[in-house]
Amino acid sequence: MKEKDTTHFGYREVDKDEKAGLVAGVFDSVASRYDLMNDLMSGGIHRLWKRFTIELSGVRPGHSVLDIAGGTGDLAAKFSRIVGETGQVILADINYAMLAVGRDKLLDHGLSQNLEFVQADAQCLPFPDDSFDCITIAFGLRNVTDKDLALRAMLRVLKPGGRLLVLEFSKPKNPLLSRAYDAYSFSVLPVMGRLVAGDSDSYRYLAESIRVHPDQETLKAMMEDAGFARVEYHDMTGGVVALHRGVKA
Amino acid sequence: MIVSPTLHTAAIAALERAVNGALALSPHSRRELAALAGRVIAIDCTAPPFSVYLLPTAEGDLGLRGVHEGPVDTRVRGSGSAFAELAGSADPAATLVNGELSLEGNSAPLTELSRIVADLDVDWEAPLVDTLGDVAGHQLAGALRGLFSFGRDAGRSLARQLDEFVHEEARLTPPRAELEDFYSEVQALGLAVDRLGARLERARARLARLGED
Repeated sequence: MKEKDTTHFGYREVDKDEKAGLVAGVFDSVASRYDLMNDLMSGGIHRLWKRFTIELSGVRPGHSVLDIAGGTGDLAAKFSRIVGETGQVILADINYAMLAVGRDKLLDHGLSQNLEFVQADAQCLPFPDDSFDCITIAFGLRNVTDKDLALRAMLRVLKPGGRLLVLEFSKPKNPLLSRAYDAYSFSVLPVMGRLVAGDSDSYRYLAESIRVHPDQETLKAMMEDAGFARVEYHDMTGGVVALHRGVKA
Repeated sequence: MIVSPTLHTAAIAALERAVNGALALSPHSRRELAALAGRVIAIDCTAPPFSVYLLPTAEGDLGLRGVHEGPVDTRVRGSGSAFAELAGSADPAATLVNGELSLEGNSAPLTELSRIVADLDVDWEAPLVDTLGDVAGHQLAGALRGLFSFGRDAGRSLARQLDEFVHEEARLTPPRAELEDFYSEVQALGLAVDRLGARLERARARLARLGED
């Protein structure tokens, strides 16, 4: 008998075909309060993590950038200013509600000339081979059903020499920090989610999905297996978040 | 990077905000800074250990980055105190040459940037008027302008008089021009000694050859 194809949805084991719909439910629910919750949950530090990601991207005027799972467009907004009129930034997200919030926010900031918005699944990117100088995916990879498939898709659409940057929650290396982080994630986050976004389940999923996401070394190995060269990572805030970078050889 | 990326990025973001906050109140400095757009200046501070890249923008802001992997026009390395000396120097070019900073690349963007920072003329009126209203804001801005202008003029006057006293009246140290003459004479003497040494070496080699014949 054929073994059932399953994956994680937080701590739950679900059918692979189910996960995208469940994740969509989470983000449909939190989209309108996503930025506010990010600031509250991280104390604003997510802006520093994203700033470091942009610095390490090496993006310059004229570059083409794909921001996958770009959500409300924090990275896309910065990239749009860097690449200038000769460059292009594509903000992609599988979730329509998140993409709509991001599009409205960037348009309100007067950013539109070099920006495009695409509803796309990271596992089967609708772009030709060798299209982008840089791809970023910030706090999105852990929600993808088949991460290996997504990494291979990103490699395909990167130009040779192009970089992939994966900013994602990871594993703190200090046991004390790890315990404090667990207490914060499972006690404070759901309460904060209920009070601010009116949804504690989504923020419980956030904490659970972080725990089942591959740690720094595993993700590095996954990127190497997908075909990326010169893969390295930088731990930030004690390993609560890690930024992985790989190059298409 | 020696410190954690988060702390390093936080320090740079805070510094960038402070610098651009001051620049926002000095339209003249912003125009001058915009002329440096596209240049990249790397600052490597050895003590305390800290690296930052300065990227002036066409809008007249100063972008600060912890990491920059593209080409760099000017790279300057030294201790925090040496950088402080450069920032406060009336003659940045001379401080660069004679100070403890080591420089790679083109020094012009750095001296220009240093001059813009030293000449930063903050216009307090706009934010004060926004906060306090037209009349009170204008009066307070006028008072602040007078205070800063007096402070700057007094500082320059004091520095000039002190310089004159130290060099001309007390003769505690020789004047700059005399010192520079002395340095160039020492340099010329050094070159002459090197040349003489080379000639002696050549003569010795010739005598040795004659002896062999």
